[in-house]
Amino acid sequence: MNTNLKISNITKIYPGCVANDNVSLEFNSGKIYALLGENGAGKSTLVKILSGVIIPDEGKIYLNENNLKLNSPLDAKKNDIGMVFQHFNLFETLSVFENLIIDSDEQRESLREKIDTIMKKYNFSIDLDIPVLNLSAGQKQKVEIIRCLIRSPKVLIMDEPTSVLTEQETSELFLSLKKFSAEGILIIYITHKLKEVMELCDEVAVMRRGKLVSVSAINNENVESLATKMVGQNLKTIKKKKEKTSSDQLINIINLNFISEDPFETNLSDINFSVNRGECLGIAGISGNGQSELFQVLSGEIISDKNSIEFNKNYIGDLNPQERREYLMAFSPEDRLEQAAIPQMAIFENVALNNFKSSNFFNNGLINENKIKEHSKKIISDFNVNTDNIELKSQFLSGGNLQKLIIGRELITSPDLLICFNPTWGLDVGAINYIHETLIKINEQNKSIILISTDTDELLKLSDKISVIHKGKLSKIMNADEVTSEKLGILMGGGN
Amino acid sequence: MIIDINFIGLIIASIMASAVPLILASCGELITERSGVLNLGVEGMMIIGAISGFALMTVTGSLIIAVFGAMLAGVLISTIFAFLTQTLITNHVATGLALTIFGIGISAMIGKNFVGIPGKEFPVLFEGLKDTIPLLGPILFGHSIVFYFAFALPFITSYFLKKTKIGLIVRAVGDSPESASNQGINVRLVRYACILYGGAMSGLAGAYLSMIYTPQWIENMTGGRGWIALALVVFSTWNPIKILIGAMIFGGLTIIQFHMQAIGVRIPVQFLTALPYIVTIIVLVVISRDSRKIRLSTPSSLGKSFHKDN
Repeated sequence: MNTNLKISNITKIYPGCVANDNVSLEFNSGKIYALLGENGAGKSTLVKILSGVIIPDEGKIYLNENNLKLNSPLDAKKNDIGMVFQHFNLFETLSVFENLIIDSDEQRESLREKIDTIMKKYNFSIDLDIPVLNLSAGQKQKVEIIRCLIRSPKVLIMDEPTSVLTEQETSELFLSLKKFSAEGILIIYITHKLKEVMELCDEVAVMRRGKLVSVSAINNENVESLATKMVGQNLKTIKKKKEKTSSDQLINIINLNFISEDPFETNLSDINFSVNRGECLGIAGISGNGQSELFQVLSGEIISDKNSIEFNKNYIGDLNPQERREYLMAFSPEDRLEQAAIPQMAIFENVALNNFKSSNFFNNGLINENKIKEHSKKIISDFNVNTDNIELKSQFLSGGNLQKLIIGRELITSPDLLICFNPTWGLDVGAINYIHETLIKINEQNKSIILISTDTDELLKLSDKISVIHKGKLSKIMNADEVTSEKLGILMGGGN
Repeated sequence: MIIDINFIGLIIASIMASAVPLILASCGELITERSGVLNLGVEGMMIIGAISGFALMTVTGSLIIAVFGAMLAGVLISTIFAFLTQTLITNHVATGLALTIFGIGISAMIGKNFVGIPGKEFPVLFEGLKDTIPLLGPILFGHSIVFYFAFALPFITSYFLKKTKIGLIVRAVGDSPESASNQGINVRLVRYACILYGGAMSGLAGAYLSMIYTPQWIENMTGGRGWIALALVVFSTWNPIKILIGAMIFGGLTIIQFHMQAIGVRIPVQFLTALPYIVTIIVLVVISRDSRKIRLSTPSSLGKSFHKDN
């Protein structure tokens, strides 16, 4: 049976932002639809409306000509709309089976049979009786998909599903989605990755700043045309000039180990690498393979053995982040609002947090506000932060502006080494470009970078050398121009 | 010296009796906390239960009305907590502390008229079987219905959480209220229900103290048992069976240190009085140190307010 989903004139307004501005779209089963847009374009809001999580201010939704009233996720489920969220809606401490039975009305045995049938049909293999926190991201996503399939949905919505997957897992996912589509499930695929749209989808709807920009068949589009529609302007692509880097060693990690007592963390074992001046070492991997622990060990949030980190001929493994900064290291953590900046504090106060003995931000224990403000203004203008109010609380900066502020704060003291962790995570294309240009510039000034990132394209673009972290172990270090994203994908999944 | 074997049985029975209010209040609070709500008002709810039970018993003369009235009083006072923390999204810790202070104050006020009035005798079950088995007789028989209920409760609680659908929903809400809400579970409703249930059990624990354990009203008669109950929940790592163990150790040491004081052991009284607290915590820490298991049984959202926004 054919499924027809129609949304007409959907509007959702938040204070200071129109998330969806009069959006109308029509979908038919048998095709895979892409909903493409940058972060903040309104695509997540739209699918949350479709799944009943958000109630629109105006507009109507029709499924096979029936007007749907979606006031809660339960309504969406009842109307056969299934949704796999970008951030999984799983209960980490419950077992897989408990996660699945919780919203099902079926008996244990019949549900188990049903799940087994689904898993056989689509080649999933997941142990149903272990807690979800022991699963990989790809497996967790499969649990979410199974949860939808149990209800035999008419519509399946996938919100940025590949952000946590390896290349292999991504192609497996695409195969499954194509199977679902062939079986008559209407698939709406939300993403900002152009390549995936070209590979998977039949039709593509592009959104920008809450508005629907275009709807077209994939055959009439290519990566460039979609990018232009998505961003609204032509983007210059930047390339790094690959030069012979110096052989002057800046940082050397020797047999670094970290054993965590928290079962949620990954242990690091026998980490060895070195970075030369002017070089960018990229560390690839699927999130949760020890990146966060590695970043913390390198930044000094986790103290390690004194001799395991040699920086500029000093052994600094036992120093805290503040002390390491004095040796001219700089850090840009993954979580901008939790680790890098304090959301409730003003921009200039956040700047003052990165203080050196030489920066004179404090006199006899008192805050030297003028000095800090002057310094903050310099960062804002040098690093293109789009605000002139340095007393603004940092939580009100957009992700891109906040990241520029953080990178600026770290770089204005001209450190020898910048360690950054997913620096462009969740940013729009414009901000990503700016950050990438900045990082390339650092290398050109003969300063070094350790770039821990889950974005393979970013790593290939910026790194001179690349290594892959898998289950807390580093692969051998490779020259970036000898590496392909396929090879990285295999290593990220634990292959050779 | 000849020790009558039935005397040992009686001591064990008295230890068990002193553990009853702790088990009741802890198992109630455990359900509340498993749903992600930290209610520090256990002491306050217990004392309200104690005075309500005693007052209703004196006024109406009916033990049944008194026991259920005490539970209802616990439910009513916990409704205040639920309304504040779930509907008005106030801070759990501050609200719970206020609840305890409120409970102690209001119970003292109501209780003024009931000081010095003797309680009624509470019926016990299987009295006649007490002497049939040596040692086990006094342990197993001749107790109130509340006593038997209390010792069944940890097992019922464990079964409820592990095996029933509603238990699963309670754990899910405590693990991630956001996910639960996105799955269409009414988080606020679940948490209200768990808070009210915790209130009922604390009320019953209080009624046990004022109607059965020491049948009279004394101001502040819960004497910190509510706080011990809270500690038991945390140190047992939200495991009802370990609550039972912890409550028995605590009750046991409380009784034994009384006897030690009575026979004049030369250890400072303050140390003896502190002993149950110290030993209970040490034992529970030791039996619960598997960090993986802790991670799996700790409600991840404990004490965090959940507000669904649209």
